[in-house]
Amino acid sequence: MTDVIIEYRGISKHFSGIRALEDVDFACSAGSIHGILGENGAGKSTLIKIMSGVLQPDAGEIRLEGRPVAFASPRAAGDTGIICMFQELSLIPDLTVADNLSISDPPRRLGLIDRRAQKARAEKLLARVRCEDVDPNALVRELSLSRRQMIEIAKALGRDPKVLILDEATSALTARDVQTVYDLLADLKSKGVASLFISHRMHEVDALCDTLSVFRNGRHIETFAKGEKNGREIVKLMIGRDVEAQFPPRPPARQQAQEDQPLLQVSGLTWEDRLNGIDLSVARGEIVGLGGLDGQGQKELLLALFGVLEHVGGEIAIAGQRGGPASPAAAKSGSTRMALVPEDRKTEGLMLGMSIADNLLAACQARISRGPFIDPQRARQAVADGIAKLQIKAGSPRDAVMTLSGGNQQKVVIAKWLMIDPDIILLNDPTRGIDVGTKQEIYRLMRDLADAGKAILFYSSDYAELIGCCDRVAVLYGGRVVSEQSGDGITEESLVAASLNIDPRAA
Amino acid sequence: MRRLVSAENKPIAIALGFILVILLIGTGYTLSTTGTAPLLSPNYLLQQLQIGAFLGICAAGIMMVILLGHIDLSIPWTLTAAAMTATAIGGDMAVPTALAVGVAVGLVNGIGVAWLRIPSMIFTLGVDTVLRGLMVAQTGGFAPQDTATPLMVFLAKERLLGIPAAIFVWAAVSLAIVVILTRTGFGRAIYATGSREAAAYLSGIHTRWVILGAFVVSGVCAAIAGILLAGYSAKAYQGMGNVYLLPAIAAVVLGGTHILGGRGRYIGTLIGVILIVLLNSVLSIMQMPEAGRQIIYGAVIIAMLLVYGRNQRVLS
Repeated sequence: MTDVIIEYRGISKHFSGIRALEDVDFACSAGSIHGILGENGAGKSTLIKIMSGVLQPDAGEIRLEGRPVAFASPRAAGDTGIICMFQELSLIPDLTVADNLSISDPPRRLGLIDRRAQKARAEKLLARVRCEDVDPNALVRELSLSRRQMIEIAKALGRDPKVLILDEATSALTARDVQTVYDLLADLKSKGVASLFISHRMHEVDALCDTLSVFRNGRHIETFAKGEKNGREIVKLMIGRDVEAQFPPRPPARQQAQEDQPLLQVSGLTWEDRLNGIDLSVARGEIVGLGGLDGQGQKELLLALFGVLEHVGGEIAIAGQRGGPASPAAAKSGSTRMALVPEDRKTEGLMLGMSIADNLLAACQARISRGPFIDPQRARQAVADGIAKLQIKAGSPRDAVMTLSGGNQQKVVIAKWLMIDPDIILLNDPTRGIDVGTKQEIYRLMRDLADAGKAILFYSSDYAELIGCCDRVAVLYGGRVVSEQSGDGITEESLVAASLNIDPRAA
Repeated sequence: MRRLVSAENKPIAIALGFILVILLIGTGYTLSTTGTAPLLSPNYLLQQLQIGAFLGICAAGIMMVILLGHIDLSIPWTLTAAAMTATAIGGDMAVPTALAVGVAVGLVNGIGVAWLRIPSMIFTLGVDTVLRGLMVAQTGGFAPQDTATPLMVFLAKERLLGIPAAIFVWAAVSLAIVVILTRTGFGRAIYATGSREAAAYLSGIHTRWVILGAFVVSGVCAAIAGILLAGYSAKAYQGMGNVYLLPAIAAVVLGGTHILGGRGRYIGTLIGVILIVLLNSVLSIMQMPEAGRQIIYGAVIIAMLLVYGRNQRVLS
């Protein structure tokens, strides 16, 4: 490493006796894109928080361009050019895009915020991330998750980073935006900026980074140049054990005729201007993927099926019965039960402040009660079963669910729904931002559930998952299914082509 | 130490400690002035609990609403309306009618907040004002001449086995609330909805009915307090509930219930009520002038919340 810009020596950090980082040496060079890999809980987040001044290390020293430094706050780190784009979006929903982009240091005139300069600045930054379609005066809450993440990147760029830390920066991005981020990082690299790129998507890390570092259990395991190791070796370093195939094998193409009727049948589904006539069916034992660019109606389709949306047009038939559920409460009860793993586990999937046990039992109260009273015996049993079934790594079921890692939190959401023994399982990007090991467990679980006769509808923003997991994939574009592919016919090329709606023959 | 007192129980432990401090200071004062320690006599403590019952029952109801992250500001006139209706009706139907008033107010509040989606702070304040108008219209703005029924007087003033009957009523209400919160699906749904309404709704919890239910419980509790208070003073009067709103909210929050909902144990509310009652009582024994009492009372509430807040930040 010739041009080390920032260096960490012997960094340790403990949280109430639990080791988060142990004696970590780590350095990062100017003009490089440095990938950091590791499972959730490996210490990546802690390292980033120390880098960006959110946390102070218990031991060790930090040298910026050879001089020892200590950051008391994110502000102090930011002033020296170390900018972090956090996994948890840090935008303020009720402010405009322009306000958010300049929030740390708005342009001022006579001490007051100069709105015109701020807007011009926003336009320039938006152009840099190729989001010219976003109105600087729009409220952030009105934007899709993908757009918000791009704004977040623009905000970080606006602070002239020397070291740019991207924590899961691409987790919610569409393919086009991911390409924009790639181009941006390449541009920054040529300007001598060091970028640290944290992602759970191996192919992104592989495509983008020139140097890779692997963390495991709070330790820095190894740093190497890209290409020195293949994917298999890297995964092995990350989880410390060998892994077989990433996805469980797909059963041979099913005979549709065997089923007299699909469990879930949707025809001509419409809702406001988001859904424009969706036709889709899912049979028992089948995993059907929903593909396409972000915001093409996938989320709305799942919500409509689950009874969340009002004034849905078209027809939903469940086990041959016409009419969809009127509310989530109706969807989860009855003879054919439905479950939804929602998009955002932190605000829609979990009550973060409540215990693991309370979260696990949130959907199945009727099953563990006698009359109005909860049967403590049955509740305890259900919690123990759920934790065992999904191998949730938790100290005690009474701990708050927010103490768990992202992967384990998602397992809690899934376990909660398995308690009602659902027949139809709707999954909205269930592997977003979680570690490789847990992802594989979820893939296997999905296949096991399908084999047990469940019907699974699975939206993912990661093409590799759709290809690896699904029996069929329906690609949505503009609130319509534009292409349906099955079995070995599902390829990255065909999915991308269909997502952009550029090859009508694929339909 | 961290194992011994969990984050959730910390405010409760602090409040409990503060009760002891109040008793010690009060006793020190009386010992030094009169040489006696009336504060520690069972009779004095029972008397305080009897007075505390009115506040405690209001606090129990409003706690359900606060756990949802909402607030019920209609307590004062729900209490007054129930009391006035009870004395006006009289006879055997007095108590059931008063309870029905509580249920009705709770239903209106619940529908306004859960279905019409009006912020509870505004809606319940409006309901409180409407109730006041109705009561003034009914009584012409004067204290009604009707008196409380013997049952109401008994519940509020008489003793059973040497213990004031009001304490039994408070205990029964408390038991019901504890069972609801810890042993029923409704109780767990209150915590879930208060913690994150979107997640609760998407878990298939009938969040609207949960909100409605909590407001009904709050209304009924205010009505019970109204029945007792009318029995205690033998009649209902204008503005009899006004002094209970702020202390009831304070007791819930001092007991560790998160003002934004989702967290809190009933035992905390119980201790919060006792703390407030004792604080008031000791300040009056010490012959503190009214102005000084108000200042100390408010300062203690703020100081204790400050202590809780700091602890939570360190622990999270």
